[in-house]
Amino acid sequence: MSTPDAGWRRVWRSVRIPGAVLVALVVVAVLVSLGDEQFPQGHMEPGSVDPTGGRALVETMREDRDVQVVRSAADAEETLGEIGGDAVLAVFLDHRMEPGEVRALADLEVDTVLVQPTLQTLNEFAPGVDMSGRTESDETLDAACDLPAAEAAGPADVAGEVYEAAPGQAATECYAAAAGSAVVQVEHGDAATTVVGTDHFMTNTELPDEGNAALAMNLMAAEDVVWLRPEPHVPEDSATMAELLPQGLRWAAVPLAAALVLLALWRGRRLGALVPESLPVVVRASETTEGRAGLYHSRRARDRAADALRAGFLDRVSGKLGLRPDDPPETVVSALAARLGEDPARVGALLYPDHPDPYAGDDEALNRLAEELDERSRRLR
Amino acid sequence: MVVTGRSVVLALLAVGAVLVSGQISPQVTAAALSVVAALLALDVLLAASPRAMRLTREGDTSVRLGESAALSLVLHNPTRRPLRGRVRDAWPPSAHVEPRSAAPAHVVGGEQRRFGVTLTPTRRGDARAAGVTVRAIGPLGLAGRQRTLSAPWTVRVLPPFHSRRHLPGKLSRLRELEGQHTAMVRGQGSEFDSLRDYVRGDDVRSIDWRATARNDGVVVRTWRPERDRRILIVLDTGRTSAGRVGDTPRLDHSMDASLLLAALAGRAGDRVDFLAYDRRVRAQVRSGGKGSQIQQLVSAMAPLEAALVESDPAGMAGTVMAQGRARKLVVLLTDLNAAALEENLLPRLPTLTSQHLLLVASVRDPAVDAMAEERGSPEALYRAASAERTLADRRRVTVELRRMGAEVVDAGPEHIAPALADAYINLKAQGRL
Repeated sequence: MSTPDAGWRRVWRSVRIPGAVLVALVVVAVLVSLGDEQFPQGHMEPGSVDPTGGRALVETMREDRDVQVVRSAADAEETLGEIGGDAVLAVFLDHRMEPGEVRALADLEVDTVLVQPTLQTLNEFAPGVDMSGRTESDETLDAACDLPAAEAAGPADVAGEVYEAAPGQAATECYAAAAGSAVVQVEHGDAATTVVGTDHFMTNTELPDEGNAALAMNLMAAEDVVWLRPEPHVPEDSATMAELLPQGLRWAAVPLAAALVLLALWRGRRLGALVPESLPVVVRASETTEGRAGLYHSRRARDRAADALRAGFLDRVSGKLGLRPDDPPETVVSALAARLGEDPARVGALLYPDHPDPYAGDDEALNRLAEELDERSRRLR
Repeated sequence: MVVTGRSVVLALLAVGAVLVSGQISPQVTAAALSVVAALLALDVLLAASPRAMRLTREGDTSVRLGESAALSLVLHNPTRRPLRGRVRDAWPPSAHVEPRSAAPAHVVGGEQRRFGVTLTPTRRGDARAAGVTVRAIGPLGLAGRQRTLSAPWTVRVLPPFHSRRHLPGKLSRLRELEGQHTAMVRGQGSEFDSLRDYVRGDDVRSIDWRATARNDGVVVRTWRPERDRRILIVLDTGRTSAGRVGDTPRLDHSMDASLLLAALAGRAGDRVDFLAYDRRVRAQVRSGGKGSQIQQLVSAMAPLEAALVESDPAGMAGTVMAQGRARKLVVLLTDLNAAALEENLLPRLPTLTSQHLLLVASVRDPAVDAMAEERGSPEALYRAASAERTLADRRRVTVELRRMGAEVVDAGPEHIAPALADAYINLKAQGRL
């Protein structure tokens, strides 16, 4: 034990099982995580595979055009500037943008698809077009107009907000419903602005139905699609929780810590050290006997057990019969048989059995032996 | 340094002050902490110095196991400041000291106070005081100083000597031997004691006719057993003596029996030596002269513990032989453990028994006897068989020892002391000492 080698071996022996468990856990965790790709989540999120996500549409469009996903108005401006040529800006969740940003985007005058825009965005991109009401969202509307994109797509699930252009304004209104039209296209400078009252038909779930996919693809028909889904603005230089707390409360932590230290000292300080004392040895004197009983039992040492029982019996009765320990078996058997009034052969078979011992065959036989011996000791008492 | 609950309250007050302080919090915090620290430091400085306290002890230095020892601890405060605080007198757990909690102490400067302590030890041996911790709190009750001072004291916990109750009975048997019994039974000893007048009831065979002729009345001779015989009690303190018979180690049963024997032999005028041995001599008492040495013996036995080593009966026999060539009764208290005795003691036995009379006494375990009676299940039968095997081994060793001329006393824990005393009295009556 004292050699360093043995010490290391002991350390290794104590560490190897926890180590093996740890390695197994890591392997299992890695294997489980392999099939578990994390997709972003969110409404009309281009990477999302949720029912309301936009991954299906984006992936489909990417087969024949470039789709660039941008997360802020500034990025959208930059991207559009880089592309320069044939591009469509698709704006989702425009309420996350600030008015200035919306105006800046509108001033770019590129082809734009506004999906369920706010009134302010509508004003900037398509002045004169106004939201005129809503239709039930599970209705399928017919195109019924001469906008090529809608005409080609046919009926689609575009029910949602509906719009109306101002009287006299040059506008193409499609998918007419009771209160207005679900898709309205107006001229906006050199470009066209298409307002769509819902994004329902573009979601992963709805895209395969009716002419939904065709309508969405047609509305964003260009070499480059800039998919703007702004992130919410994080307010800058806002106060943290700690800064909002009263100053007194913050500073009170210092004396409170001191109080806790004092409390620990007060409760933790012992009045003098513990007094050690060696423990006494507690072992039963009969321990070895019990241990041997366990050995007999586990090894089924019936022959030895039978011999021991017989020896005990002979010791108990030999005093009563006036026998000496070194008397030969014949003397013992005849004395015992005479006293008990039994057949000497039977007593002899009980005390000095042939080999193999019939009483050592199984536990039952051993029990029989004990009973017969006990019965004879009782009679001799 | 120690602090009290009051200091915590003070610190919480500081917390309160800082909470309501508003814009000047940093300044208030610094001020509050300084005040708390200053007050604590002041209190520590003003507390009486625990190191200066003078401790003296008085009281019992020995106690029988199971009885209580009364001690007192006197704390003298030589400083001019009063000592306020607590005093804890620490003892090992088995000493079971009362009161268990630290005593509150208030000792005016220059005065002293006595703290009573009661020990009720549950283990034999020496109980040593671990130290006295004095905690002195300052006048503000906020903080103070603490120090553990040494105040050595040892209480020797002696074997209980339960078998004392057998002593009167055995002594009266002994007096019968000496012819001093109230019934005036003639002594059975072999040594001539004295002549005295005949009283009715005396055996006519004891009349000394020659002396009668010289005197007026009839004179009888009285006999008494031999005196001034030597007895050597050898206690085996090896591995087997640690085993518990009932709740008590075999060693303690053996001690009890040896004490009764020693007390009896002391009264009978024999000289008792004592030796505790496993692989080396653990304790030894040599008789200085006549009379009882029971106190010496008890005190030599008190710190003995069973050593967890295999005893060396051969070495033990050698040590006994080295004690002198004069014939004596060697009483060996051990376990009739077949393996150990047959291998080591029996070969040495002839030399031992040729010079001395050997009496081997062993405590029999009633648990093994009870095991031998177990029946009913295969497991119980195996246990019974194993117990029978143990008993057979004991019988074999007993027979072997007797065959080689040694006396054997094998009795249960309750009976070993009287049985050993009886064996001694019988040997004395037979004049075999």
